Amino acid sequence: MALAELVQYVATGLLVGGVYALMSIGLALIFGVMRVVNFAQGDFMMLGMYLTYFYAVSGSIDPLLGAVLTIPPFFALGWLVHRGLLARVTGGGDPQRQMDAQLILTLGLSLVITNATTMILTPTPRGIRTAYATQAFVLGPVLLNQARSYAFVMALVLAVAVYVFLTRTDAGKALRAAADDPEAAAYQGIDVRAMHALAFGTGIALVAAAGGLLATYYPIEPTVAGNFIVLMFVAVVLGGLGSIPGAFVGGLVIGLVQSLTLLVLPFQLQNTGVFIAFLLVLYLRPQGLFGRRARTV
Amino acid sequence: MPSRSRGWLAIAAVVAAGGVLTLVIDERYHHRVLTLVFLWAAMGLAWNIISGYAGQISFGHQVFFGIGAYVTVLLVVKLGLTPWIGMIVAVAVAVLAAVLIGLPTFRLAGIYFGLATLAYPLIFRIVMDWLGYQEVALPMKREHQAWFMQFTEPRSFDLLALGVLAGTLVLSRVIETSRLGYRLRAIRENEQAAEAMGVDAFRGKMAAYMLSAAPAAVVGAVYIHAILFIVTPEAVFGLLVISQTLVVCLVGGTGTLWGPLIGAAIMVPVSEVLDATVGDRLPGIQGVVYGAALVLFMMYAPEGVYWRLRQALHRRRDAPAARSPIAVAPVDETTAARPTATVLLDVRGVSKSFIGLQALSDVGFEVREREILGVIGPNGAGKTTLFNVLNGFLTADRGEVRFLGEAVTGQRPSALCRRGLGRTFQVVRTFPRLTVLENVMVGAFVRERAVGRAQAAARVALSRVGVADRAGLLPSSLTTLELRLMELARCLATSPKLVLLDEPLAGLSADGVDIMIGMIRRVRADGVTVVIIEHTMQALLRLADRLIVLDQGRRLAEGAPGQVTRDPAVIEAYLGKRWLARMGSPAC
Amino acid sequence: MPPLVRTLASVLVFALLATAFPIPAPAADDVKIALVAPLSGRWARQGQLKKMGAEMAIEEINSQGGIKALGGAKIVLREADAGDSVEKAVSAAQRVLTREKISAGIGSWLSSFTLGVTEVAERLQVPWLTLSYADSITERGFKYTFQTSPVSSLQAEQALDLVTDLAKKNNRPIKKAAIVGDNTAATVFFFKPLREKLLAAKGIELVVDEVWTPPLADATAIVQKLRATQPDIMFYGGTNFPDSIQVLQKVKEFGVKTPIQGVGAWLVTPEYVKTLGKEALDNIQTVVAAHPLKGQDELVKKFKQRTGEPFMTQDPLCTYAHVWLIKEAIELAKSADPKAIRDALAKIDISSGPAASAFYPSRVKFDERGRRVGATPLIVQWQDGEPFTVVPTAVATRPIAWHK
Repeated sequence: MALAELVQYVATGLLVGGVYALMSIGLALIFGVMRVVNFAQGDFMMLGMYLTYFYAVSGSIDPLLGAVLTIPPFFALGWLVHRGLLARVTGGGDPQRQMDAQLILTLGLSLVITNATTMILTPTPRGIRTAYATQAFVLGPVLLNQARSYAFVMALVLAVAVYVFLTRTDAGKALRAAADDPEAAAYQGIDVRAMHALAFGTGIALVAAAGGLLATYYPIEPTVAGNFIVLMFVAVVLGGLGSIPGAFVGGLVIGLVQSLTLLVLPFQLQNTGVFIAFLLVLYLRPQGLFGRRARTV
Repeated sequence: MPSRSRGWLAIAAVVAAGGVLTLVIDERYHHRVLTLVFLWAAMGLAWNIISGYAGQISFGHQVFFGIGAYVTVLLVVKLGLTPWIGMIVAVAVAVLAAVLIGLPTFRLAGIYFGLATLAYPLIFRIVMDWLGYQEVALPMKREHQAWFMQFTEPRSFDLLALGVLAGTLVLSRVIETSRLGYRLRAIRENEQAAEAMGVDAFRGKMAAYMLSAAPAAVVGAVYIHAILFIVTPEAVFGLLVISQTLVVCLVGGTGTLWGPLIGAAIMVPVSEVLDATVGDRLPGIQGVVYGAALVLFMMYAPEGVYWRLRQALHRRRDAPAARSPIAVAPVDETTAARPTATVLLDVRGVSKSFIGLQALSDVGFEVREREILGVIGPNGAGKTTLFNVLNGFLTADRGEVRFLGEAVTGQRPSALCRRGLGRTFQVVRTFPRLTVLENVMVGAFVRERAVGRAQAAARVALSRVGVADRAGLLPSSLTTLELRLMELARCLATSPKLVLLDEPLAGLSADGVDIMIGMIRRVRADGVTVVIIEHTMQALLRLADRLIVLDQGRRLAEGAPGQVTRDPAVIEAYLGKRWLARMGSPAC
Repeated sequence: MPPLVRTLASVLVFALLATAFPIPAPAADDVKIALVAPLSGRWARQGQLKKMGAEMAIEEINSQGGIKALGGAKIVLREADAGDSVEKAVSAAQRVLTREKISAGIGSWLSSFTLGVTEVAERLQVPWLTLSYADSITERGFKYTFQTSPVSSLQAEQALDLVTDLAKKNNRPIKKAAIVGDNTAATVFFFKPLREKLLAAKGIELVVDEVWTPPLADATAIVQKLRATQPDIMFYGGTNFPDSIQVLQKVKEFGVKTPIQGVGAWLVTPEYVKTLGKEALDNIQTVVAAHPLKGQDELVKKFKQRTGEPFMTQDPLCTYAHVWLIKEAIELAKSADPKAIRDALAKIDISSGPAASAFYPSRVKFDERGRRVGATPLIVQWQDGEPFTVVPTAVATRPIAWHK
């Protein structure tokens, strides 16, 4: 195996992983702060893809910009969904029971969103035609697909923005406090409920943006969430629950593993490589790559 | 026991009702719906064993469903083996798979565990596609239909599915009312407390997993023959199966065998009715309505229909019973046990560090039979860490601990408990959804196998500590003192030789402290050795025969209480150098 | 009323109301045909295309006087949503076949759905027509299943012959071939004989053999290999739209010039043009069971007018033909009884009329397994953003443009 070929595999894996990474950060934020397993996360991504498509078709807005423009409306949508639905099921009571209830609630939400979209927008797949989806940057023998490269850079930018928000701003710190210890945060005067809404809104906005970036090279259909939802969850858990950098790294790792698995296993078994790697990481590090080990006693 | 036989009667009634429905229903399609209700209820019950009773939420239970389906069907296709026997093989394979999956995966907890279990069926799904088994059709057997589980009469499938359901109901009920059931619920409620009470959490989970894999495999096999007629990896290893299972259990309620029954009885017909009525005319609307129904259910009954109804019905009956004051029989000093010279617990040179913190440094002491040994020290001295090492929750980096002559290192807390080492916790660790009596029964199960005898032993333990009349309450309705006494009773029910009490007086009023101290004296009088951590000197001065003082992980002093309290090093540790200097030489 | 009870009540009320939706009551002697196809979920588009074809045929038949042998009885369509799972598909079949007397049925696009649905039809003894390609559908010894498309393994053999002949005629003989596709059943059935014997028999070297499990994460590895080995033809089976788009985009990106020979009608939907553009699709060919042939312009025009679709493809065309075929069978049987229709289908032999002319060769006769005798695949080629039948030349609507 020539070095150039190997580099190509690694590059491909990272580019694919970049978008997985952005998809996963939103999920990680929601889980980290609210302990909510949001099954509908992929469907919000799908809606983000449709909005980006709408921007492209009616306003001739390039999807890279369109992706960023999905952030405000989806933040609002996330806030509303939290207000209207999730807030009633979170906060107070047995956390395990809550997690179970949220699971089914978000599953129900997922069904509603997917089916309603199929009915309203029809199941016909749509695609945004961009010149750069079929062009590549040439770095010696390695070809980097332009659409995926732009998406990767944007994903990185957004991820860094989120990280800065969480670590440098007061709102971000309040969010992390509410995630760490809701009771203590409440005593500090932090409105935990508002923090949850903030986290959910941000998480939805991020995954919608990821969808927009994905739409630069991936077709849009109401059921597209199914192709990514499991990978998203695997990335978040792999990275360590509640860790945003962890989820990002988790996404990149999945992209890499998907690509490098092809060197070892038949193509058909590509995703088994991901699941096996996932299991191995958890056995060696039960809390995930960046997760914190829970105190035992 | 009246409530126990009531449970069996109810199960019989449900099965009978299922039989009646089978006979009464006419249309073929309705029979299919009925069969689906039975099968999904059975699958839900299977899942409930590991995820409801034992509390280990699995997102990958369909791996056993799929194994049941594929093994049975492939045996029919390749070997012409009747599925009645093929199912048995499939169950064996599934149980083996449960062991292989459980072994590495039970080290994980919470959603880590849940998602890790999902990886297995997804791997199987891909592998089955790769092996060329994308679509395995059941060969139609026009002769010997019954031998191949291919009935023309739809009622036969109903009865088959009902049989599977009945079997799983019986299995669930047997578990619920057995020692295993109590242990599983203890694991679910508080795994560490369960360990400390002699419940081997790993074995418990593994037993539950194996018991839950078997019915799932049977359901998978029957599902193919009755419902699908072909096997595809997506259909049996995919997310749809686990979604349906979760819906059925979470809408109905987990941790009870009625939950999946109710959930299946509601959600499966709703889904089919939606498909049959609006779905064909306005495709997609059925998904919207079904999804909306799920959302509504979870908003208004997040714990499940069964628990919600129960809560609503029981609210009226929960009149707070009058509680008698707690009294402790005084210790008869003449017959009371006295300390002997036999060493029960021998601690030598124990050190334990965490990242950046040396919690224990070369700690050593002996605990003699029937003495009350107090362990004191300022905050952060390493007292609880010491207990965790003694108890098996942590392993010492260096040093050795011997209990009854055998090394403690490497043993699970539950094993030590069974050998006679009991423990209570600084913050009371109850099993919140078990009654006080059931809490104590978990401890009693260390010595008793049968539920009835454990119950009797638990009552005895509760009377010993004076809270017998709180037996039917939930821990949430107890006062701090009652909680601590319950925890003590639970620990005593394990018939320990030595108990480690971690700050049993914390949070008690002066009266409570008196009662607790009296109780601890009783415990020793009955022949149990006590090692007690306490924060305040006062109490220990009244109680302990000897004291050990820890400070910053080191053993600072050891000896009789009076002696230790005059030790300047001890005073300095508690009150500081300056206080010591100001006092000059200590007075008392 | 406590919220929980309120919720349960509303769900129940809604469900009951739903059952009260007025079903247009058919006349007592109307002939009912079932269509079980995915109308919601992942494959809804394909199911809806089938429905369009069926409805067009029914309207034609009814407006031309209905079924003569039954005194002008009209045909009524009973569609049932197969959804996105085998369970739902089989439930749909059970439901629709037991609710009313159904004379015959059509469906269900996805071969796994078809396998399940035909099991029900066989048990309930209702004749069933399908356009699915998978060999397995008619290898079960069923008497009530009729498969009008040539089976995948046969398609592989015939397509390879057609393609090698064409290549030779154009002075570009095929020496190296690539197999690229997913592991869905029909594709697997096509690739297997190619890989195992057909290519070797023609002295063609298989230089790339990449089969993935959907969904495809990235096509780079595959297309890299194509670029490195430069095969003379690529047999292509990316049935899942997003996967296929990725491959085709990557082919363009890497500048791979290998001629693409698709396997199946999934490659000729309008979405391809909208997503990839005309130029990227130009000259891509695919093997299909049916496509509008020379002489079917009227039919195609009518379809486009009715539905607004830019062109007519296999799914609506076959379903249209299936409805007409059932009509012919009923005329032959002089009865709407499913068993009689089945017997009629078993011995039918027609070569003209809408039922036969949609297929190639235009003859419908079934062998004892239920396969259409003499069924031969067509090759359809994208030209200027529209797919045209190019081979065999006798029925082609445009001449083939072999790859430069």
